[in-house]
Amino acid sequence: MTREIRIALTGNPNVGKTTLFNALTGSRQHVGNWPGVTVEKKTGRINRNGYEIEVVDLPGTYSLTAYSADEIIARNFLLDEKPDVVVQVVDATNLERNLYLTTQLSELRVPVVIALNMADMAEAQGDAIDRARLSEFLEIPVVRTVGTRGEGLDTLLEAAIKEAKTSPHHEHTVGYGDDAEAKIVTLVDALSADRNLAKRYPLRWLAVKLLEGDENVVSKVREGPASVRVQSILSSIDADEYEAVMADKRYEAIAAILPQVHRTDPKGTTFSDMVDRVVTNRYLGIPIFLALMWGAFELTFTVATPFMTAIDTLVVWLAELAVASIEPAWLGSLIGDGIISGVGAVLIFLPNIFILFLILAFLEDSGYLARAAFIMDRPLYAIGLPGKAFIPMLIGFGCNVPAIMATRSIESEKDRLLTILVNPFMSCSARLPVYVLFAGAFFGAQAGGVMFFLYVLGIVVAIVSAKLFRSTVLPGDVSPFVMEMPPYRLPTAMTSLMHMWSRGSMYLRKAGTIILLGAMVVWALASFPYGVEYGSAESFAGMLGHLIEPLVAPLGFDWKVAVALIFGFLAKEVVVGSLGVLYGTGEETLSEALLADPGLSAATALALMVFVLLYMPCVAALGVIKKETGSWKWTGFAVAYGIVVAWVLAFVVGHLAPFFIGGA
Amino acid sequence: MTGDLCPLALLSAGTEATVADIRAGKGMQTRLFGMGFCPDARVKVQCANRGSLIVSVGDARYALSRGIAMKILVGCAKGVA
Amino acid sequence: MSDGIKVLFGAVLGVLYVAFGLLQFILAAFGPVESLEALLIPGDIFSGFVLLVIGTVLLTGARKLSGGAADGMPFIYVGILLSVGFGLVELLALCALGADAYLVGEWADWSVMDTITPLLYLAVLGVLGFLAWGREFLRGIRAA
Repeated sequence: MTREIRIALTGNPNVGKTTLFNALTGSRQHVGNWPGVTVEKKTGRINRNGYEIEVVDLPGTYSLTAYSADEIIARNFLLDEKPDVVVQVVDATNLERNLYLTTQLSELRVPVVIALNMADMAEAQGDAIDRARLSEFLEIPVVRTVGTRGEGLDTLLEAAIKEAKTSPHHEHTVGYGDDAEAKIVTLVDALSADRNLAKRYPLRWLAVKLLEGDENVVSKVREGPASVRVQSILSSIDADEYEAVMADKRYEAIAAILPQVHRTDPKGTTFSDMVDRVVTNRYLGIPIFLALMWGAFELTFTVATPFMTAIDTLVVWLAELAVASIEPAWLGSLIGDGIISGVGAVLIFLPNIFILFLILAFLEDSGYLARAAFIMDRPLYAIGLPGKAFIPMLIGFGCNVPAIMATRSIESEKDRLLTILVNPFMSCSARLPVYVLFAGAFFGAQAGGVMFFLYVLGIVVAIVSAKLFRSTVLPGDVSPFVMEMPPYRLPTAMTSLMHMWSRGSMYLRKAGTIILLGAMVVWALASFPYGVEYGSAESFAGMLGHLIEPLVAPLGFDWKVAVALIFGFLAKEVVVGSLGVLYGTGEETLSEALLADPGLSAATALALMVFVLLYMPCVAALGVIKKETGSWKWTGFAVAYGIVVAWVLAFVVGHLAPFFIGGA
Repeated sequence: MTGDLCPLALLSAGTEATVADIRAGKGMQTRLFGMGFCPDARVKVQCANRGSLIVSVGDARYALSRGIAMKILVGCAKGVA
Repeated sequence: MSDGIKVLFGAVLGVLYVAFGLLQFILAAFGPVESLEALLIPGDIFSGFVLLVIGTVLLTGARKLSGGAADGMPFIYVGILLSVGFGLVELLALCALGADAYLVGEWADWSVMDTITPLLYLAVLGVLGFLAWGREFLRGIRAA
């Protein structure tokens, strides 16, 4: 007979909670959203000892106050949902700070088990932690775990099950000093008048929070009968001062225990710190970063090449096979020319994206990227962007979809919105096929230089747009930069690969759905009305193009380009595929066909590339923008702004280019 | 403890100090407490660059921009830049 | 390992990196130079920049260490790490391009010599430094 247990997983950020969660739940995970907010909710299931266990991964927090959405979610879950047991993942190399959260958990009167994670790193440092004694002092079971190696998981689960089934639970609290304690007593007394509250929450906890000035609790109390008396008590005190005092007391309590359970070599300045001196050096910091970025892109482009060649050959062969062997002819064409070629054009860039994400994952997991964010904070601040915008911008070079999702780490809503709005100007990998085609065809040996110019242009537009938005639609100061610097470590292959996969799979999903759909739509519009020549001016695609043509004529684009751009709305990769259809050629001969077209010159090609670089995010990215901002207004703004900027700059570039290209 | 207080941002690399006060908004203050920047906490500046710092508090390391480092006040007994 | 050897190593390797970096800039600006062909230096300003950065880090380390500063060693270590790291990048790039040439059928035309750059061969010296002092360095990282 199975019984159900619910475990809430909590802990500070950067303690390996996610790794532990993955190790515990494996593939039986479900990712969703906490209602009403854009914070990710992960739950998983395990079967152990006849129990069916649900594990809920709460957001990582330093404490349980009402400052951020993450903390409120964690706290509300613990109070309202009343999980059977809470497992706090503690970083064994950072006990002091981690225990701060423990003191707050204890006050919630929930059963707690501590997973003393990263025990391997603590031991490697020469630290010795007396788990038994620590457990005694805290009155909480402490289990040694190493998430990355899967050690201690069984013991942890058993301890959790045991704790969940034991009752009653001892409320272990910190003494806040005579003055505060006296106030707490009066508050508890006042609160007891509110039966509702008393039933749902531990009164002492409520009192403590009121004393700290917790907005969330204050509003809860305000709705009930205890309100008046509580308000009068609170109005006579300075909440800020009490909060500081109480934080102090908590740390004091921790400091009293720590020396008795934790034996560690005194570490003044560690090697990690010394490396930081080099990496964050005033003059060398940014150059080192730029050099590493060059290395990342160089590696991405070169190592991806053989894979791309292999995929290309495979796709072409499959497409020809399909067209040749599938009856009836129209179906063969749909599958061969439409689906396989269309999707194939996208798959070719898969190695590119995955390798870039792998390198980024490696840099992130090693701890370097946190330092890079710190180094870039100052220049980003000058533009009006928060330092934490840095990592999402980097990811944007791979694909804007995971990049925009990565902006969740930015606390301020305004800063976050700003980052999301300028992110699409980071030239994602989807635009590469267009650059490669046109730069390759029209600029020959200079193609590399042209592509570099485009990437830089994207960055410049992002910078200017950020400044523009800051001074007009999104005024305000950039919020201050505070970020934890995890110690440097050599990431395991597994961790980095999984990290790469979680981002890269978003791109795959997009390719699998939207682009597939897009390829079929392109094919359909090009093949009908029935009997028309595939991709000619008489097909629906052609008619659509002629309709739009006047709008893009000043840029030098003809109807074929117009159609391709419209399809590019679905996914920028589709631009190349649709051009192939419209010019009636396969991938290889497309460049020749383009060169032969009298309407297209090197200048217009450049204008076209600029347009593709800048004009609105693709459907997938727009979907994420809507989801993350929750607003149609801003999503629409992103589209409109993108199109306007693209049109203007394409116009300028197209007309200025002939002056520069002639000599090159 | 002497009455002299100065912002953390002004300290140079290698200096240690004790946190005295935090002059920031409520939310930031609470967050900093949770991270370890509590009155009487010992901090050490590891890297300093025109006000932006990487400091260690206990076993943890944090990067702070100049803006926030100016709001954390510490006792300036010795080693001030 | 005495500090003196490290200072010398850092200084020499640093000068080499900076010199080759500058040469790459010069070649990029003025085109190929007959007498330097054998050194296989591409006229690429980007990898030239990287060479300059590595060289500067090493020279800074050498300077600080010779002056007795505590943070001299980290600069040299990081310099060595960068040297080896970028050497690896170039090596991987070389293998990848070779594999691609093979797949495309241009294997006969492709030559390893075309893709060897200073960023790759100077790294050999970096590797020597890593072998000599690497263990100290890595132990330091894990203990951090």
